Amino acid sequence: MAMIVLQVILLMLHLVQNVDCIWLNLPKSGRKCVTEEIHNNVVVLADYVVISDVHIHPTPSITTKVTSPYGNILHHKENATHGQFAFTTNEDGQYLVCFWADDPNQGGALSVNIDWRTGIAAKDWESVAKKEKIEGIELELRKLEAAVEAIHENLLYLKSREAEIRQVSETTNSRVAWYSILSLGICIAASIAQLWYLTRFFQKKKLI
Amino acid sequence: METTMKVCAILGLLLSTLAGDVAALSVTVNDVECVYEYVLYEGDTVSGNFVVVDHDIFWSSDHPGIDFIVSSPGGNVVQTMKGTSGEKFEFKAPRSGMYQFCFHNPHSTPETVSFYIHVGHIPNEHDLAKDEHLDPVNVKIAELREALESVTAEQKYLKARDARHRHTNESTHKRVIFYTIGEYILLALASGLQVVYIRRLFSKSVAYNRV
Repeated sequence: MAMIVLQVILLMLHLVQNVDCIWLNLPKSGRKCVTEEIHNNVVVLADYVVISDVHIHPTPSITTKVTSPYGNILHHKENATHGQFAFTTNEDGQYLVCFWADDPNQGGALSVNIDWRTGIAAKDWESVAKKEKIEGIELELRKLEAAVEAIHENLLYLKSREAEIRQVSETTNSRVAWYSILSLGICIAASIAQLWYLTRFFQKKKLI
Repeated sequence: METTMKVCAILGLLLSTLAGDVAALSVTVNDVECVYEYVLYEGDTVSGNFVVVDHDIFWSSDHPGIDFIVSSPGGNVVQTMKGTSGEKFEFKAPRSGMYQFCFHNPHSTPETVSFYIHVGHIPNEHDLAKDEHLDPVNVKIAELREALESVTAEQKYLKARDARHRHTNESTHKRVIFYTIGEYILLALASGLQVVYIRRLFSKSVAYNRV
């Protein structure tokens, strides 16, 4: 019965959006985490479903936790066999999604299916099609146009990142040069100071 | 597992334009980490890339890297890459089913791997004949979409490589500062100790001019 319900839910999810089934194996105890580096102001949409490999009934439940790079918990759900979450990122950095098996004694390995979409892939084309009353080929071409815009944005982002890296590289380069010359200077200064001090010392001791 | 796969297959037929891909996720590989992706049609092109990103302690630039193994649902190995720190891959799926993408880390330090997998389907004449809603222009649109997907995949690869480069850069930057300041302090300390030692050699309390 639970399997049928799960399949119906999967069916509904699949009809609403394009499906992507990336599966992860959950170990019996311990957790599985996935991270992604996302920048600011990006829409993130995710669906997850748990399937047990060994047809255990009822399906074992899991705990899910989504953490932002600064430690805020964006989604926390326990004792679920399926769920979804959506958020818009406020912070730049690594977003962490973790899954735990709730009951380590429920035998059999668990598989979690994650449908994780960010940015352009998270766009709801159904509502766009309804609002603008376009369908079929025109809708497909719209999707392609949005994809091209996303590519352009990504390119600009990569360009700005490259500029940052180049900045750091050039600073490091100039620092290496200056610090090495300074280290040579300190070496020479230290040896001169030593010689001067020891000469004075020996002259005081009337050995020279 | 089997029934869900059948559900996936049925829905794939319902949605005539289907392309599966994931955002570029990262996993931490301690020993072996496997990711699974379902390929709906035989002959689909599965493409993707992966980059090893995390290299906090990096003493040798000759890091052996990780191994990458793709297995088909029948258990055969479709692709293997050994000892790499990041590669692109592409293959034509010999059959439909659940494909396994495994990363194997031969060393004890955990590595973070950022990967991206895309399953692309282009409807062919067989699909056109079956479904009367499919125009021949849909084939062209699917080809266009696949081409754009490959550009997006390339960009994700570049982004991951850029992240790795940035780690190395920042680590170099920090090392330059800390190691040179440490060097100066040690130099000053060493010269100070030399002077103190020589003084002691000549001090009256040890022995009168024993040196």
